[in-house]
Amino acid sequence: MLNAIIPLLLDSLASAALIFFAAVGLTLVFSVLRVLNVAHGSLYSIGGYVAASICLFIASRQLNPYLSFLALLFSAVCVAAIFGPLIERGLVRWTYGKSEAVQILITFGLFLILEDLQRVIFGVQSFYEDAPMRLLGTTSIGGVVYLNYQILLIAMALLVVVGLRLLINHTRLGRLITAVVTDREMAQSIGIDTNRIFILAFSLGVFLAALGGALATPTSGIAPGLGADTMVLAFAVAAIGGLGQIEGAALASLIVGLARVLAIYLAPSLDAVAPYAAMLIVLLIRPYGLFGSVTARRI
Amino acid sequence: MASKGISIVIARCLSSLERLFSLDRGLPHGNVRWVMDGLVGALALGVVAATPAAAQEKPGAVGLGIFTFTSGPAAAYGMPGKNAADLMIDEINAKGGIGGVPVSATYVDEAQGAQGVIAEYRRLAGDTKNQVMIAALSSANCLALAPLAEQLEVPTVGWNCDTHQLLMDGKSKYVFRPNGNTVPEFIAYAIYLLDRKPDVKTVAIINPDYAFGHDAAKIFTAALKALKPDVEIVAELYPKLGSPNYQTEISRLTTARPDVVFSNLWGADLENFVRQAAPRGIFTSSQVILALGETVLQRVPLPDGVIVGVLGDGWWMSPDAKAKPETVKFAEAYKARFGEYPVFPSIKMANALIYVKAAYDVAMQKNGGKWPTRAELAAAMKGSKVETLTGTAQTRADNDGVVDQIVGVTVKTPAQQFPVIGDMVRYKGDSLMPQVGHDPLAWIATLKPEFAKSLPKPGSYK
Repeated sequence: MLNAIIPLLLDSLASAALIFFAAVGLTLVFSVLRVLNVAHGSLYSIGGYVAASICLFIASRQLNPYLSFLALLFSAVCVAAIFGPLIERGLVRWTYGKSEAVQILITFGLFLILEDLQRVIFGVQSFYEDAPMRLLGTTSIGGVVYLNYQILLIAMALLVVVGLRLLINHTRLGRLITAVVTDREMAQSIGIDTNRIFILAFSLGVFLAALGGALATPTSGIAPGLGADTMVLAFAVAAIGGLGQIEGAALASLIVGLARVLAIYLAPSLDAVAPYAAMLIVLLIRPYGLFGSVTARRI
Repeated sequence: MASKGISIVIARCLSSLERLFSLDRGLPHGNVRWVMDGLVGALALGVVAATPAAAQEKPGAVGLGIFTFTSGPAAAYGMPGKNAADLMIDEINAKGGIGGVPVSATYVDEAQGAQGVIAEYRRLAGDTKNQVMIAALSSANCLALAPLAEQLEVPTVGWNCDTHQLLMDGKSKYVFRPNGNTVPEFIAYAIYLLDRKPDVKTVAIINPDYAFGHDAAKIFTAALKALKPDVEIVAELYPKLGSPNYQTEISRLTTARPDVVFSNLWGADLENFVRQAAPRGIFTSSQVILALGETVLQRVPLPDGVIVGVLGDGWWMSPDAKAKPETVKFAEAYKARFGEYPVFPSIKMANALIYVKAAYDVAMQKNGGKWPTRAELAAAMKGSKVETLTGTAQTRADNDGVVDQIVGVTVKTPAQQFPVIGDMVRYKGDSLMPQVGHDPLAWIATLKPEFAKSLPKPGSYK
């Protein structure tokens, strides 16, 4: 019995970890900026492409292979530093206060541009770089061989949940973000530089998306189309958890991961629909998501 | 010439018009759309049918519409086909083209989806310069284009259409497939497996979630059940085409503890699966069959003993291929130009072009050297027997192709830096296909173990 449950649990956690990285940045950006960034999936795949390129460079120069772990983090920082301020100042800020439809259309346009940009720069063939995965080896649990890298991903996801909560609750930046989320106009009136908070929060969202793509690279290939698939799944997770809720995203990732894994084990034909069926059920019961709530619109 | 020019202009206008409608603009009503599609199709047919005399004049170039995947995860399979087409067309043109006319190809990316592929087909067919279509890679697109080819009367050569459903009705006049189909391709794997591992009891399947994956599973399972009824299928997984991550599927396969894992994943999906499954021990705990495994031999370090094949006879290193100087020359030219040796989709494409060129030669021989019409080209393809780079493509009465099937296992060789296929068998194509008009699955169910025993054994093809 235990031998049957352990693989289910581990696969669910590993699957949830990958989904969580894709979703948490989306939900964070929404909570601060009130913008649903449809281009989020593209930033995820750009993170993957940059990480794979740096890892391939390390391999080609025969540098210490353990540098590839640093490369995963470094690539996410680079993507966030370049794309975060550029997109927020150049595009997203013009959508503040506009209707959701306008915001979605504008970020969808950005998504299309970024997808084509990736094709131009990285080509249409798949990218692979699995050095970090190979370096960590494998472990047999419950009769199934798992990659230690999968276990590392679970640990990283937990670290991100805790890290984000500490950042929000126990740092000056976190308190400033909380103030802006709670009442943007009041925060402005007491002298908080909301523009700066928006840039930082958006860049943090981009960092989380790029980190997700970078961390996924060693176990998955990257190819055109990954951004769109990721975005749809990330949105389902954010909707289940409640848009803007970090812990909600974590729990929702687990639900979606478990739904997918159960489908693959018990009813493989339902694999593709399982995450969205889970979303449907949750939203029917709680239309604002598990952790979401109705907020009064201020006039 | 004037009438030809006018007809081309009209055909182009019509195809543009149809393309506009295919985008669902301003056609809210299904019936209106049906009527418009019908009108446009009928007019296009009229234009094309009204210009046979013009088509018999030698054109400035032989236009070919070539359909393959040039983007997305399937490009890992589609681009080798396009590369081969580029190379073959250059070689044909260097030798003076076809009947003295240079060949010019227009490529269509199948990644745009069936709707776009159909619109592009209509647009290309509207230009009489494009006498033949080499379409398509995806079985789903082949099935979508086949009725159109018949309607527009355009000879269409399925360079990689594998689904056995394509020509099942036996009524096709303009659609040809100079390759095998899913029936001989996947029966071959069942026979090879039982020869190599006669005590197999349990099998798990992981195939892509569309017609090719489901058809292959059905045929492979039916053949196994017919030849060894006690075989049990312990897991059937159909991940979405283009999935980047197979970790959960790999866990599921491991927990099923099958003797054999069978897969016809392809393109980037196959590369992803192999890279993720190898470190997790799938290749050591089970006998793995990768039906399209040859396509990744040069890119992924496959371990020894994996059963792989080429869905036909299109392996550039097979004994028959190596005995042909033109095949060796093609493989070397391919390597020099694209940095790696051709994979079997490349050979299939090259063979399709050889097939088309042979049809032109025969058609012109029959009509006294005049430039052939589309109908004359189709007639030349009917029942043809063409020497390809890797064997012979025999076209049956139902326009289906008969080619041999090569299956083997991965082995290392000092001659190459990547694994190659060893312990090979070459099954005669017609021995693995039902007669014309017979239902393939019903025919497979009649197979007996004695049938398998009568076929060549692994290692016999040297």
